Amino acid sequence: MTAPFTLGGHEFASRLMLGTGKFSAAAVMLNAVKASGAQLVTVALRRINRERRDDDILGPLAELPGITLVPNTSGAMNAKEAFKAALLGRELSRSPFVKLEIHPNPHHLLPDPIETYEAARLLVKEGFIVLPYMQADPVLAKRLADIGCAAVMPLGAAIGSGRGLATLEMLKYILRESTVPVIVDAGLRAPSEAAAALELGCDAVLVNSAIAAAGDPVAMARAFASAVRAGREAREAGLMAARDAAAPTSPLTSFLQS
Amino acid sequence: MLPDWLEPPPEALAGLNASEEEAGAALACEAPGIRQFAALLSPRADALLETVAQRARDATARHFGKTIALYAPLYLSNLCGSGCAYCGFASDRRQARRTLGAAQIDAELDALAAKGFEEVLLLTGERTARAGFDYVLDAVARAAARFHLVTVESFAMTAEEYGALARAGCTGITLYQETYDPEVYAAVHRWGPKRDYRFRLETPARALAAGMRTAGLGVLLGLAEPRRDALRLFRHVEHLRRRYWQGGIAVSFPRIRPQRGGFTPPHPVDEKLLARIILAFRIAWPDLPLTLSTRERAEFRDGMAGLGISRMSIESRTTVGGYRGGAEESGGQFEVCDQRDLRGFCAALEAKGLQPVFKNWDAVYR
Repeated sequence: MTAPFTLGGHEFASRLMLGTGKFSAAAVMLNAVKASGAQLVTVALRRINRERRDDDILGPLAELPGITLVPNTSGAMNAKEAFKAALLGRELSRSPFVKLEIHPNPHHLLPDPIETYEAARLLVKEGFIVLPYMQADPVLAKRLADIGCAAVMPLGAAIGSGRGLATLEMLKYILRESTVPVIVDAGLRAPSEAAAALELGCDAVLVNSAIAAAGDPVAMARAFASAVRAGREAREAGLMAARDAAAPTSPLTSFLQS
Repeated sequence: MLPDWLEPPPEALAGLNASEEEAGAALACEAPGIRQFAALLSPRADALLETVAQRARDATARHFGKTIALYAPLYLSNLCGSGCAYCGFASDRRQARRTLGAAQIDAELDALAAKGFEEVLLLTGERTARAGFDYVLDAVARAAARFHLVTVESFAMTAEEYGALARAGCTGITLYQETYDPEVYAAVHRWGPKRDYRFRLETPARALAAGMRTAGLGVLLGLAEPRRDALRLFRHVEHLRRRYWQGGIAVSFPRIRPQRGGFTPPHPVDEKLLARIILAFRIAWPDLPLTLSTRERAEFRDGMAGLGISRMSIESRTTVGGYRGGAEESGGQFEVCDQRDLRGFCAALEAKGLQPVFKNWDAVYR
């Protein structure tokens, strides 16, 4: 059993968060969520369909036991839109969490730091538990934590790109100084990358495309769950220090007088 | 004179005649540009078609997931002041003319909403006194009251007009250049405001600058040499992506089908070439929404769904007032080839492991 993970005062056993877009069918998505053991599940407000049940992803998820919904503001281009979307998301999901996602470029979906900061400030004031999707920018991470975000969610690589921990060096800076949980969001392709993120000290990871676009999404959800658990166990067990060279058996400094 | 940004570089034109080996190298390229795009259109790339399709399918799954966004077109009026030689609604065609009144628009929109659609595309012909800007504006407001996503495919407008449409709830426009070949363009656009090639060319940029979030481009395949048109379409996409970094650019692939007036496409495009063009766009632009309409037959659409194509229409009526008017379907703008109903089409997508998505936007983002 690894240590639980606390987010905005709520405790979670699972350190794997799941995104729910991109699945080939709602049933596949639900089975993947179940197989992953994820407790925090994000839902894009733009995919919540209040009119048509067979096109809705919120309803079926809300019925799963042990799931905390995290509406996301994907589609928002600026702080104002994200704020409105978050309010609507809270009304529909009754969740105190919001995954703040502002990507003004609809093609690469990279986050806007300026609008994200502004929206985070407004949403924290409004009482949300704010989880901002952000560039792996160590300074921005501090700034977002300073204004009350419950975690930071730096990207490993662009959404859907499957490029893994492309931002590794910047993630290390973020981890060294963060006072809030660090959740790697976006870019992961393989469970080994999720394990690496946890070993590194990240508190959790969020995965969507890597599971939804896998050959067998349910099996891949299970694989990610195992990897996240293994990565966290390794972190808690304490990895041995890595060395570039073998440790000398005859110390070079034995001539020094004490 | 065409603007510099539209002209493909000489090496791209040369790429259209690439060898199989060069096409293979283009396919292996991590970030293909216009040269590689051209090489994938070379006739010698045919031998690689299966591998090309695999790469396109993988890119589509990464960026769009295993989903297809669905939309429904709604023809508001077939009045038209233009003389497009290829169009069933051109002003010299013998064609019963209809323009939906406000109550009829509401009824058609309600019929589409009842089917479950969340995205509607409103269409008209070239600007006329009865179906002019105010008419489109009113229709947008009616649609925006019922649908989360409203887009317009209509005549080329001014920046002020696009601004007003956006404020009324229109998220994007579709506007095809039809052909980027200026000579063919002049020949087929026989009269009307659409004769102004440059005004039309600048229209997507004008719409994005005025507040539209998305602009859909396309060429009417068959009018001019299709691969050269595809290269300029590529350049147009590239130009808009650079200039309007917040704009969503999409591409459609309409192909000339039989219409009234007997227009025979001078450069017929077969399914294989159409597929090659779609796949090349997907490989060169992994994150670009690519649309395929019901002009194509069911088997082709099912095959291309997820293989590059990420957005499709279904149950389309290309006649004015078609959704409540019963089954008769003649005299439309083009012949609807995929005649399946929504349920049948969704079943086909699901059988392919693709989820039909109705709602992928929210009115909160207006």
